[in-house]
Parts: sequence; C-alpha cells; structure tokens
Amino acid sequence: MDILWIVILTGYAICVAQSILALTTKRPVMRTTAFVSLAIAFAAHTVWLLLRAVQTGRWPLVGTREMCAFLSWGLVVSYLIAYRWYRANALKSFIFPIVLVLATIAAIAPGSVGHLDDINSPLQKILFPVHVGLILLSYAAFFIGFGAGIMYIIQERELKLKRFSAFFYKLPSLEVCDAISFKSMAIGFVLLTLGIAAGIYWQGMRDGVFWHGEPIEIFSVATWLIYLFLIQSRMNAGWSGRTTALASIVSFMIVIFSLVLQGMRL
Amino acid sequence: MNIVLVGLSHKTAPVEMRERLAFNEALINDALSALVDHVEVDEGLIVSTCNRVEVVASVPAGVEKGIHRLTGFLSDFHNLPLESLDLHLYRHSHTDAIKHIFRVASSLDSMVVGESQILGQVKEAYQCAVRAGTVGRVLSQLMHRALSVAKRIRTETAISQKPVSISSVAVELARKVHSDLSDNTILLVGAGEIGELAARNLMEAGAGKLIVTNRTTERAEQIAREFGGGAVNFEAFYDILPSADIVICSTDAPDYVIRMADARRALKSRRRGPLLFIDISVPRNIDPAIADLQDSFLFDVDDLQSVVNSNLTERQREAHVAEAIIEAEVQHFIKHLRSLDIGPSVLEVKEILSQVALSEFKRNRKRMGNLDPEQETAIEDILIPALVNKLSHPVLVHLRAAARNGDSTDVLDELRKMIRID
Repeated sequence: MDILWIVILTGYAICVAQSILALTTKRPVMRTTAFVSLAIAFAAHTVWLLLRAVQTGRWPLVGTREMCAFLSWGLVVSYLIAYRWYRANALKSFIFPIVLVLATIAAIAPGSVGHLDDINSPLQKILFPVHVGLILLSYAAFFIGFGAGIMYIIQERELKLKRFSAFFYKLPSLEVCDAISFKSMAIGFVLLTLGIAAGIYWQGMRDGVFWHGEPIEIFSVATWLIYLFLIQSRMNAGWSGRTTALASIVSFMIVIFSLVLQGMRL
Repeated sequence: MNIVLVGLSHKTAPVEMRERLAFNEALINDALSALVDHVEVDEGLIVSTCNRVEVVASVPAGVEKGIHRLTGFLSDFHNLPLESLDLHLYRHSHTDAIKHIFRVASSLDSMVVGESQILGQVKEAYQCAVRAGTVGRVLSQLMHRALSVAKRIRTETAISQKPVSISSVAVELARKVHSDLSDNTILLVGAGEIGELAARNLMEAGAGKLIVTNRTTERAEQIAREFGGGAVNFEAFYDILPSADIVICSTDAPDYVIRMADARRALKSRRRGPLLFIDISVPRNIDPAIADLQDSFLFDVDDLQSVVNSNLTERQREAHVAEAIIEAEVQHFIKHLRSLDIGPSVLEVKEILSQVALSEFKRNRKRMGNLDPEQETAIEDILIPALVNKLSHPVLVHLRAAARNGDSTDVLDELRKMIRID
C-alpha cells in the first residue's frame, strides 16, 4: 500500500474516532486534531486522484479502486457542503465511517486496467467520465441523505420514548435532519438523472444501441424510478419527516447494492 | 499576607437572616470603605446576592484576628448582635478561603448547581471593589483567577449545559424539533403560571409568533399584548391549531381540551413538519394517545420533570469533575501566591547588591586611574546593574523555586544571613 493511502486512512480513521467520541462525551474532544487530520487526509486524497489521472492520462474513474477512491472523495466534499449549509457537526459521525470503509477498499483493491480499450473518439473520452463521475457524486449525495435519515430516526425515537441518551443533545433538530435528508436526495436525483442520460448516450455512441438490457442498466433505471417516486411523494403527498428518513435509508441500501453490482462487473 | 473569608449562604442561613445581612447597591460603597478602614484589613471585597453574602479580605496579621475583624464588621455594619449571627456564619482562611471563592464563582455552591448568574454577580462585586479602590494585588489576583476558573469549568465540564427548569426544558425540546424558532407559531392554551412562563421563555428564545387563548379573554389579551401576539376566543382556537408549531396547554379544565381528533385534523391539514404539544396542566388537558400520532410529540408535566431530574443528576456528576479542577487550581494559585510573597525580597536582594557594588566602586575610584565622566557613568549605569543581575539571578531562581515548594522562609533567612540584610 502506498504511503499516500497510509496518510489518507490514518487521517480519516482519526476523524471517525473523534466524531464518535464527540458524540458520546460531554466535553469537546480533539477538535483541532480532527480538523488537521481531515485537512491532511483530504489533501492527500486529492493528490492521489490527480496523480492517478496524470499517470493514466484519463479520469480516475475506472475499476473498483478508482471508483471507491472517487466516491469517498466526493462524500467528503458533500459532507463539507452539507456542513457549510447546516452546521450539523453530528453528521460527521455517520458519514466518516462510510468514507473510511470506501477509502479502505480503494487502498487494498487491486489496481485496475490502465485504460479502456473501447474508448476512442474524443466525445466518448469526455462522456464516460461525466457519466461515471455524476453517478458517483449522486451516490455521495444519497449517502449524506442516509446519514441525516439515521439521525432523524434516532432522534425521533428518543423524543417519542422521552428518554434522552448522551448524544441526543448533539444531534441537530428534526427539522434540520429532515432538510438535509430531503435536499441531498433532490440533489442526488438531479446528478443521477444527468449521469444516466450521459451513460445511455455514451453507450449508444459506442455500440449503436442505447439499451442492452444488462442487469446494471435495469438496476440503474430502477434506482432512478425509486428516487423519482420518493421525491414526488414527499412533494405532493406530504410525506412526513419520518417517512422521508426511512426512505433515504432504504434507498441507501439500494445504492450500496447497485455499487456492489458494478464492482462485480468491472 | 493571608486571605480570609466570612460569609453565609442559603445553605447556612434562612432568607430572613440573609436579607438582613445583604449589602444593596446603595450600601456597598460605604460598606467597602468601612471594611478596609482598619489596620487589620489590607484589601476587601463583598459579594452580596439574594442567596449569599461573602466578605473576602487580605489581612496582614494572623488569620484569627482577620476573621474576628470580618465578623465584627458584619455585626457592626448591620447592627446585629454577634451571637445572632454566629450560628449562620462560615469562616475560611488560606486554602479553604481560596477554594470557597472558586467554588462560589463556578456555581458549585449555588442553589441550582451550574446556574450562570453567579459568575456575573461575582464579577460585578469585584468591579465594584475596584471602583471603590478596596482591592489590591492579592485580591485582584484571587478574583481574576476565580473568574477564569469559573470559565474553565463552564467550558470543560457539562455542568451548565442542559436545562434544569420545566420551562427551559420546554424550550430545549422545541429546539430539538424545530431548528429555527423564528418562523414558529406558539399557541398558548390557558394562562396557567408555568404555561405562561414556558411561552415567555420560547418568545425570548426567538419564537416568531404567539397566539393566546383563555376562558377569560382579558387575561389572554394581556399576555398577547406583552409579546405583540394575538388573542383568540377559547372556542375558536381549534381553527388555529393547524397553524401552530408548538402548543402549550395549561388550563384548569377537568378533562381533555385537545382530543385525538383535533390533533389528527391539525396534523393532516398543516403538512409542514412535526407538531410539539406541551401539556403542563394537571389533570392533563391533552389526550396522551396523541403522542402515538406520526409527526406529533407530546410531553406532559411528569415528562418534563423527569428530564429536569435527570439533568440535575447529570449536573451533580459534572460537579465532581469540576471539584477536581478546583482542587488543582487552588494548589496552583497557592504556589503563585507564595512566589508573589517573595516579590519584595527579590527587590531587596538586588538593591543591597547594587549598593555594595556602588560603594565599592566609589571607595576604589582613586586606584582606578583616569576615567572620563562618560566612562564613569557607563560603569555606574551599565556595568554595575549588569553584574548585579548576573550575580543575583541564580539566587532568585533558587528563591522562587523554594517559594513554590512552600519553604521560602527558611531560604530567605539563610539569604539574609549571607548578605547581611539585617
């Protein structure tokens, strides 16, 4: 494993440990340490992706290793955006374990093929990374929605049972959890739509057919339909915060499944 | 110097006694001057709140005399016989006095442990004494340290984090449900005392709008006016229910005022996030089954009280952590005080050394041959002070170290003998 990955994994591991400690203890702990290690790990992560791009002469979006590396990077970016919007510190405790798992897979997965043989035209060279990149970023957004959904469910449960654990007081309000959950679902949906469209177009250009009927295609469209349903139910049928939160958790499972499916294909 | 403290608090004296010993704003300046207007008191300050009176002083002579003087001051100033006071007073000196004032400032000695008012009151008492010119080096260092210890405890422990009154718990819960209270509407049903207090706290926490309903309209209008809200007829409030985000119920109705059907209708037609019900009435005015509805949260008076209780227990636990911090800070401050104590001796040592050097220079001046005035002043102003500093430095370092360990008097005695100060 390369030195960059050791730095990245150590940094994220410190973030995970700190965020969980911060959620369960009463006093602020290691805030500066966590901030510095996040900054270092994120910088190293970015450097790895850039180096990879320079080495291979293409976007680092091919194979399990690069996809996991990019997805975890996108997840950190999404977290930072969500944090900037809502100042929800607690979200970190739910997001960084996922970042750490994805980064670990990226670190230990075998290196992928150097290039894609079947990409030759310049337009395809652009379309493929747009397709994969957008879809991965949409997944990152769905992961954020999942984190917020979990926070909503935990907090709602404690409010209903009227028994408050140590981290009840650290979680943002139900309204904020709901807003993060819904907003990230909506953003993820837009990214997913664009990503799928780019993919279909790319495939059409490559093979002359837009639809092969492969499991991955069916699954992607199914995911898209599920999210379409979730968003429209929320907007028109006035779904409650709890339902939205549960939906964001279920859809996270679907995304994970779809990721595994893609991992098996590549 | 010695630090002594005489006082009484809610723990040792009933309110009748506390109010007789209190120093109000009009009295405090006279009291401070009277306190230090005595050879046995160097510096003094008075902390006087509704729960306590503390007289702190730095005294030159023995602590017994100092304490006696402070007790006498309290009884003279308020014209109370000493015997009637005696039973209620506590007396502390040295370490205990420092510890006591640290604990008071940190709210560990308060009626509600962790309450935030006392810190401001202690600060005010100190500033008052500064204005009156009755504090000097010792007490100002003590008070600065006390205030910084209090701040440290506030940030490093959770002693004042969670609310410990029914109405503030209601505000906390509202914040856990709705993030931004400013676009929230509060519906206050009935004008019971705690209900009104909860509504007041919510409005002070930034809630957007208050609607009050009560069986007697005048009372509702009175409360509504105070917060620029609206009052509605008791019969009409069911129509308002869907537009409310927080409903506080405190009437003396014998039965449910808000029933399942009302809540269901309100939740169905509002479609904008959860609805928080707070039922402070006994017997309860909101059907408890409402708690099972989705997006509705209901807390009755027992629920709020149990949150209060568990937060109080937690404060007690945190108080132990705070006590440990205080213990360490007291030790630290005592060391600091001891090194302050040698301050005068440090100057004395330097003074004597430079006098010796100067007189030797003058005595041997003739043997040193021709020196122009410039060279002469250079020796006096540059060489001799530099030598004195160099020679005294290790002595002073040793003295300070000895002072921190508490055996400075022995070392000072030795030093006096060595350089023949006496």
